[in-house]
Amino acid sequence: MSVPPDEMPEAAQRRLQQGSFSSGLSVADFGACLDMGLEPVGLVQGFCAMHWGAYSMGVLGRGVPPFAAAQGGYVQNYQCPHNMMTAEHRSWGQNYQQGWIEDAWRTGFNNAYSRRRQEAQSLGADGVVGVVDAQNPLSDTGVVEFHLRGTAVTLRDASASSTPPNAAPSSPWSTFLAGQRLAKVFEAGYAPVTIVTSVASVRMWSYCITEFLLDGNNVPWANTTGSSEIHQVVDAQNQVRDLVRSRVRSSLHGDALLGAHLEVSAREVAKGDFEFQSRLSGNRVRRFKEFEPLGVPRATVRLS
Amino acid sequence: MTSAATPPGPSLSNQVRRALLEPVIPTDTTTSTTSDLSIDEELNLRSIGWEPVELVSAVSLQSIPYGFWNWGQGEIEVASRAHAAAFLSATTRLVREAGAAGAHGVVGVHIDRAVHPTFVEVSLVGTAVRPVDRSQRLSRGVFASDLSARDFTMLMVAGWEPLGLASGASFVFAPRRSMSSTLQQQTQNVELTNFTEAMYSARESAMQRMQEMAIDMHGAGVVDVTVHEGPMAFASHAVGFVAVGTVVRLAASAHQSIQPTAVVSLDDPTVAFDAQTLA
Repeated sequence: MSVPPDEMPEAAQRRLQQGSFSSGLSVADFGACLDMGLEPVGLVQGFCAMHWGAYSMGVLGRGVPPFAAAQGGYVQNYQCPHNMMTAEHRSWGQNYQQGWIEDAWRTGFNNAYSRRRQEAQSLGADGVVGVVDAQNPLSDTGVVEFHLRGTAVTLRDASASSTPPNAAPSSPWSTFLAGQRLAKVFEAGYAPVTIVTSVASVRMWSYCITEFLLDGNNVPWANTTGSSEIHQVVDAQNQVRDLVRSRVRSSLHGDALLGAHLEVSAREVAKGDFEFQSRLSGNRVRRFKEFEPLGVPRATVRLS
Repeated sequence: MTSAATPPGPSLSNQVRRALLEPVIPTDTTTSTTSDLSIDEELNLRSIGWEPVELVSAVSLQSIPYGFWNWGQGEIEVASRAHAAAFLSATTRLVREAGAAGAHGVVGVHIDRAVHPTFVEVSLVGTAVRPVDRSQRLSRGVFASDLSARDFTMLMVAGWEPLGLASGASFVFAPRRSMSSTLQQQTQNVELTNFTEAMYSARESAMQRMQEMAIDMHGAGVVDVTVHEGPMAFASHAVGFVAVGTVVRLAASAHQSIQPTAVVSLDDPTVAFDAQTLA
């Protein structure tokens, strides 16, 4: 999203220009940053409150297969083997990617990200360290607040030597790391590029076999007895993980992702109607020098 | 474990300047790597000539027919079998995915397990790793291990190698007491031997299964075994015991002593440089 420069509140512009810095760094991290030549210039933040008005297909969508095929995302159909046509019997099932959920999430995140970046740019920052991102429900009306904050830093004595005259200001780099952990990243030969976060959402409308198995009705006429794998759920769960990982991977362009964190949540929207969401975040870093092999680690026992 | 590498010195700020002022654009955009390792873990891994390749994950759900939890005798075999099948299926997928990424193994596998009345769910996430020297051939199958990269490094330095994840699970009925015993014990402080014996029975079966898996992998033993045991929340007379660990074997001709160095920290009790701002 392109955010106009005047979007930052006037009060925020005045505050950021006042001459004293603010930072979210602990004293230890603050000291480590100074050692690296990084000087904090301000605690920068970005917010975006998104209303989730069109969340799902709703009950009207059910029974219109294959719904998600037109969206161009992942879709997989499951057909009942029993040839039964009753209102109670789920004669088909479908897993599909909810692209509109992912788009809405991306819009909210990108807005908050751009606003935080804009604040950093207005301070003339080279980068943002110790980024914390959060999504919280703002009220009970389907509003989700995206909040990104971090400490904008400048590289000591860098501006005069590094930026050519009339050059467009580059986007500040960002990382979830701060302090000694960031120092180790540099020593390992990596330079931070940006934080990376992405989500994937897969909806599962179960068909008869999945429903029988989830309810424990493993009976011969359901073609299942004893214990067996619940393929439709396994497909949905694996897909929601694969989708988010491949999306993040495609955004790296040859860089590496460090300290990745993969979260997956599941909720039952209604009987036989499940939603799986995955979120993967991490630090995109770029190698700037060849790795210098460390010595073999030496074990120590602390006597204190 | 500490590293014998050169500690951060006065050149740190110069390295930071170089990293930020002389950006290198990757020439090969197809070689991205992803990992959930911390920077410390990656440094440990690289110190023994290994590197992360890709974040891998796998899931399996196995159904349990309704009605097996509340009445019966002895082991609830269908639940034990479902757990074993879910674990095996998820591990197989994880290892296959790592193999497809060109890795020799998966370290730091996070294991999420949940036993529900009608199904068992196992989900695994870890980082696929391989030797930096690509000419090294895989001498055995791709392994999966719940050891952290630090523990994996320590294990390799000591001359051992991981072979895979082993798991054993057993769910057993605690037989119901007779009416007379129940009434008799109502006002007594006594051991309920039916529950104690059920726990022992579940423990033996689960540990036996885990050890059999280790033997099948030609392992010498299982390290870092974690145990989950107790009553099943949804079935008042069933107890469960699950053991999971990493199968290892000696790769060198003999165990290499790591000979830890004793250190006395002169720091204050306050932890220095703990990154408090990390999410």
